[in-house]
Amino acid sequence: MAQLSVNKELVKKPKTKHAFLRFLKQMDIQLMVLPALLLIIVFSYIPMYGVLMAFQDYSIFKGFFASEWVGLKHFDMFFSSPEFFEVMRNTVVISMLKFCIGFPAPIVLALMLNEVKNMMFKRLVQTVSYLPHFMSWVIVAGLIMSMLSTDNGSVNILLEKMNFIEEPINFLSLPELFWSILVSTGVWKEIGFGSIVYLAAIASIDPSMYEAASMDGASKFKQIFLITLPSIMPVVLIFMILAIGNLLNAGFEDILLLAVNPVLRDVSDVIDTYVYRVGIQSSRYSYATAVGLFKAVISVGLLTMANYLARRAGSSLW
Amino acid sequence: MKAKSKLLVPIVSAFMAVSMLAGCSSNGGTKNNGETANNTADANNSNKPASVYELGKEQLDFTLYGHYDWYTMPAWGGDITSTWIRDTKKVNVKPIHSGGAAPQKLNTMIATGDLPDAIWLERVDVEKLRSADMLVPFDDYLDKYPNLKKWLGEEGINMLRSEDGKLYQFPNWYTKQPNGNAGYVVNKKIYAELGSPKLETTDDLYSYLKLVKENYPNVVPYEPHLAKDGQGLDVLYSAFKENDQKFPGMRAVPNGDKLTSIFLDPQYREYVQYTSKLFREKLITQDAMTQTIDQITEKVMTGRVAVFAAASPTEIAMQAHAELVKNDPEAGYFMIWPIHKEGMDKDKVFPGTYGMLGWNVTVITKKAKNPEAIFAFYDWLTGAEGQSALMWGPPGIYWDGVEADGETPIFTEKYTSDAGELAKLQAITTNLNWVGNTVFLDTTKAKFEATLPVEQQNWSTRYQREITWKTQSNATEFINIDPQPDTEEGIIRQRIEDMYLEVRAKALFAKNDAEVLAILDQAEKDAQAAGYDKLLAFKTEKWQANLAKMKAQE
Repeated sequence: MAQLSVNKELVKKPKTKHAFLRFLKQMDIQLMVLPALLLIIVFSYIPMYGVLMAFQDYSIFKGFFASEWVGLKHFDMFFSSPEFFEVMRNTVVISMLKFCIGFPAPIVLALMLNEVKNMMFKRLVQTVSYLPHFMSWVIVAGLIMSMLSTDNGSVNILLEKMNFIEEPINFLSLPELFWSILVSTGVWKEIGFGSIVYLAAIASIDPSMYEAASMDGASKFKQIFLITLPSIMPVVLIFMILAIGNLLNAGFEDILLLAVNPVLRDVSDVIDTYVYRVGIQSSRYSYATAVGLFKAVISVGLLTMANYLARRAGSSLW
Repeated sequence: MKAKSKLLVPIVSAFMAVSMLAGCSSNGGTKNNGETANNTADANNSNKPASVYELGKEQLDFTLYGHYDWYTMPAWGGDITSTWIRDTKKVNVKPIHSGGAAPQKLNTMIATGDLPDAIWLERVDVEKLRSADMLVPFDDYLDKYPNLKKWLGEEGINMLRSEDGKLYQFPNWYTKQPNGNAGYVVNKKIYAELGSPKLETTDDLYSYLKLVKENYPNVVPYEPHLAKDGQGLDVLYSAFKENDQKFPGMRAVPNGDKLTSIFLDPQYREYVQYTSKLFREKLITQDAMTQTIDQITEKVMTGRVAVFAAASPTEIAMQAHAELVKNDPEAGYFMIWPIHKEGMDKDKVFPGTYGMLGWNVTVITKKAKNPEAIFAFYDWLTGAEGQSALMWGPPGIYWDGVEADGETPIFTEKYTSDAGELAKLQAITTNLNWVGNTVFLDTTKAKFEATLPVEQQNWSTRYQREITWKTQSNATEFINIDPQPDTEEGIIRQRIEDMYLEVRAKALFAKNDAEVLAILDQAEKDAQAAGYDKLLAFKTEKWQANLAKMKAQE
């Protein structure tokens, strides 16, 4: 037995040494990872003890260590608050809408752009479509608000001039229109930027496959469905896993800025805006942290689940 | 991963705020600024007890934090007024900026114990600092430095006192006489073209707005400013309620010696039905709840508004009037006496309120090395000399010397001939006036304006004197009646507040009067379920305490 274990160690040692040497050899490259690691440790892991605030009655005057422990009080308050149902429903519905429409949209745009043969036109569309990504939501919301306003809003004027409507429509005050406005604004803003990754993935497909397919008589559509899509599938899957982990992030700035009319509260209040209004703005930090923690736990669960499913399909994050 | 980091945003931002704070405090050590002090201040103070701090005798440096997202203090010494104060009074105010995130900034400073010497903030935020024993009481200084006592008066000082009976806050824009601008502005040209009909009662207003809508399809009949904040909607409530003291803003109505539900107030219900009717018939802009200030300004500036009402419509209206008159002397805006419901006394209509305590306050923290010196500076600043300097520049330019009363400045030729430059200076110094003395400035301005012919008078000063100052009610008894946000009543208040905003918007969008009443009834039910009674009891108690304080002084 003893002999054996010694042997094992003997076998093991050179291996670790080898790994360490390998690490040393790549030192210059490994160093580049260091800032990113540090950033995560300093800003994500070290402050994480702060989530304990969710179980305290945190007071900024007493500080973290002197504040009273209250167990699950704040979670209980959130689950039994009258807004809970509405907030959860809006969060799930808005994020599902964003996922179902916002996720495939850049893929479709990338596929369409890939078929454009005129380079000038392709570049132009790409540039124009990804520019909105660099505008802040404040600007985008301001634009949307004045376009959709009833007094001299350009959309209403256009519709009136074309005789589609008699009276201006109050777009930003009708609850039934809010989700469509929110989702389409988001798609408009992010579609171009999102498609860059897919375009890059498409560019790496071996052109000989298309040549072979067209020799076999496959139409353009057949080529898209049988070659392009399967080839970029791993990329799509990875982005889908990330998007699922993000499902409970229904949005914050966009909703905060577009849903100014309190009439829309029933359809616009999501977890993040609720935390901001009830927690942060009125300095109820423990409550805000509890709700945030609840959201984070669900998100991690969703992410793990999506990854598990993806692993069975053959490509996963870890 | 992303979800996790989202959760940590508040913490991360706190970290960043700390590092910014460190950056701020490391550039200390300002040098003595200019030794050109003349001895006027010393001469003024020469016959006072020895322990009184003499401004200008030694260098006074202190840090000031303005607790507002929007506030960036102008550089001290960046204009002629603060340069003059810096050089003659030897005071150097070092700003600490909020960086657009005031709540986080203050919380960070509290949590790290790295407080500034003085903080300029809302009155509601004072109590949490005081109860944490972070502030310096002013009581010992009040008699030594006379200005605050003279201009605010004992009554106001008592109102400002904290629970322990001490004074911790230096008020800003405090007053003993009515001020404020709430009311109705009317488009002169449209009014004249429609035959100048009578505009006194709510019925007059309704038929006038209808007339406007028929004749001017592109004009907004009634522009309520940012209706989601109340503004021109709440102004209309005063037309139904005699002696209104902005009860919609309080979300409560006094009934005898109790505050009661606003949703059950008969006049409130009448007012909501009235505004809803105006909105339904498109007499109020359909963008009322969503529009931005820019959109409003654009409409008023181009004359596409017939009646414009707000808590302070004069700022935009004054600019717009000047702009419109340039092209057409018949155009422009004028103010009318507030609208009232038929049968009500028009002298009991108050579309706006004023508080003796004014807007916000300055507190001095225990971090300050010489709090008395800082108080002495603020007291000088709120006095006649300090206010004249902040409003009309250092002596010798726009004003020179004072009249026989020892405080009213004598304006020079340049005051009228160089008004543009003065306005530019005022745009800066108004952000340095942390302890505005309303009575002194208003009286001085009005005295001077009254000597000018009508066409040379300032548009808003004129209507302030003729209308708005007579139609603002004193709401001092209702200040500070809200609970702290993290208490039980505070949590109820938050719920009621959310509910109120939603109900007001929904009622405005209601399809008929019956629906309006149904919404208000439902609101009352929901509010009761959320604990409205408890909140009203809390507010009543605070209000009665205020009344007791005020009575005690008589």
